[in-house]
Amino acid sequence: MREPSHHAMTPSRQVCRSLDEEHRALLEMLGRVEQALVRGTAADLARLVGPLQHHLEHEVGRHFDFEEQQLFPLMADAGDGDMAALLTEEHGHIRAVVAELAPLARAATAEALAPPAATLLKQLLLELLERQVSHIQKETMALLPLLDDLLDEETDRRLAFEYAAG
Amino acid sequence: MKPPQRRLAGAFLAGAGSRLLPASLPWRFFGAAAVFHVLAWLALLAGAADWPAWQGGLGWPLAALHLVTLGTLLCSAIGASLQLLPVATRQPVRSQRLMAALGWIYVPGVAVLTLGMGRAEPHWVAAGAVAVLGALAVYGTLLGLNLKGAHGMPGVVLHGWGAMAALLLLAFSAVALVALWLGRPLLDAAAARGLHLLAAAFGVMGLLAFGLSYVLLPMFALSPVPDERRQLASGAAAIAAIALAMVAAFGVAPTALRLAAIAAGTLALALHLQLMRRTLASGMRRDFGRALVLMRIGWGSLALALGLALALVLGAPAAIFGRLFGIAVVGGWLLSFLFGVLQRILPFLAAMHAARGQKRPPTPSALTLDRALAWHLRCHVAALLALAAATAAGAAALATAAALAGLAGALSFGVFFVVLMQRLRQAREGGKPGAALN
Repeated sequence: MREPSHHAMTPSRQVCRSLDEEHRALLEMLGRVEQALVRGTAADLARLVGPLQHHLEHEVGRHFDFEEQQLFPLMADAGDGDMAALLTEEHGHIRAVVAELAPLARAATAEALAPPAATLLKQLLLELLERQVSHIQKETMALLPLLDDLLDEETDRRLAFEYAAG
Repeated sequence: MKPPQRRLAGAFLAGAGSRLLPASLPWRFFGAAAVFHVLAWLALLAGAADWPAWQGGLGWPLAALHLVTLGTLLCSAIGASLQLLPVATRQPVRSQRLMAALGWIYVPGVAVLTLGMGRAEPHWVAAGAVAVLGALAVYGTLLGLNLKGAHGMPGVVLHGWGAMAALLLLAFSAVALVALWLGRPLLDAAAARGLHLLAAAFGVMGLLAFGLSYVLLPMFALSPVPDERRQLASGAAAIAAIALAMVAAFGVAPTALRLAAIAAGTLALALHLQLMRRTLASGMRRDFGRALVLMRIGWGSLALALGLALALVLGAPAAIFGRLFGIAVVGGWLLSFLFGVLQRILPFLAAMHAARGQKRPPTPSALTLDRALAWHLRCHVAALLALAAATAAGAAALATAAALAGLAGALSFGVFFVVLMQRLRQAREGGKPGAALN
């Protein structure tokens, strides 16, 4: 019998596929950061922190804003308001970590950090990793399948276009 | 609207927040389970000299066994199912007063029952059994109400009903055994003991472990809910295996029915493991560390137990193989699996409790003392191996070594639990738990 793969969870709507691809890209990036934190050198970590910070500042903000403004209201209307509220709350927690991480990440790309700052950077990266994984877990298992069921083709096309343009 | 199965695990995560019980309710069961775990190994230490010759009668080895089964396994299962089943079956949380009363009756009941077993005082055992059975009647009622109104997750619900039926048989066989010790036999001793082992280990705990896996593993691995037809097939095969073995315990075609039970049990395990393997293979997080190691030890031990059961049916010496079977089932399968689950769900639930009213609540790992769990795993494995060796060799010294290793592991798990509670309290008071202590 054929072994199911990640595709068992691949959504069918365009907008969901875009979000899913971004989730997977971020998970991959965070996975590399985790490897560098566990087994890599300070230089390995410094190389990854810059692109991660850029991604967090530009892509994650856009991704969160789109979900909060366009998708979570649909979720609440479908009777999953608890989940929408929980995901919004988690966005707040992740934004708070990203804000605390930003100055350290910028400094780390410019020069080697002194021990207390380097320790704090590692702690924040691990916290970000744990929060993002748990958050993506909920979105992959609740938000994306719900949208797959809820959206008609026209709404899906409109939302996908808006997201790509935003 | 009924959510499709593939997003039930996600709905579970969301519902876990809105259906969170007050912390004191589930945590009293988890805390009691951690304490009973320590007491179980202390009881074995007290009865280590009797271990090689023990044949299942009153004494400290029997107390140790029940501190594990009623004290650690069932106490944790009550806490976990009271919290998780309403979320999984999308049911409202029912009477919290009953849940609180359940804890107040059950925990002292287990203490009196096991003390009576250790000191060989049948009247204490009877008094403890009345309290425990009364509490289990309350638990069964809450569980039954929940299952009756369940929406979705038919595989989990089937396992839940199986566990409920087994709970009734567990109560009946417990009454028969206590009556036997009080000198008023209701059933043949071997039949009562066989029924009790099957109802407790495989019926109540085993079915709950299989059923809750279909909720918990997808949540840990970030994977879709396993195929429900196969969940139902595995559950039906497991229930058939237990029923066949129970009939055999009453002397009806024992060899044929036991062989059929082992075959059905093997089929149930094979289907269950296939579902678990697929869950892990399709998950976005395939390795969840030490917890998965413990779960794998649990599954391997169940396979070993089925092999030992076959050897017993084919004529292997019951004195040694029977007890090795018991160690594989209770220690290897159920206890290992339970601790694998607990070390994931306790920090998860604690983080959810800590999140209430917090701007940036702690993460589960910030609440976890990882070193304590590493020590627990080493000691747990060493204790089980030493206990198996003590049984095979008939050596009391090895039983003492097993008890000491188990005690060290139980204390390590206790430290993990205490630190978790301290960090939860700290987080709720607005402080930041010390992740650096990990």
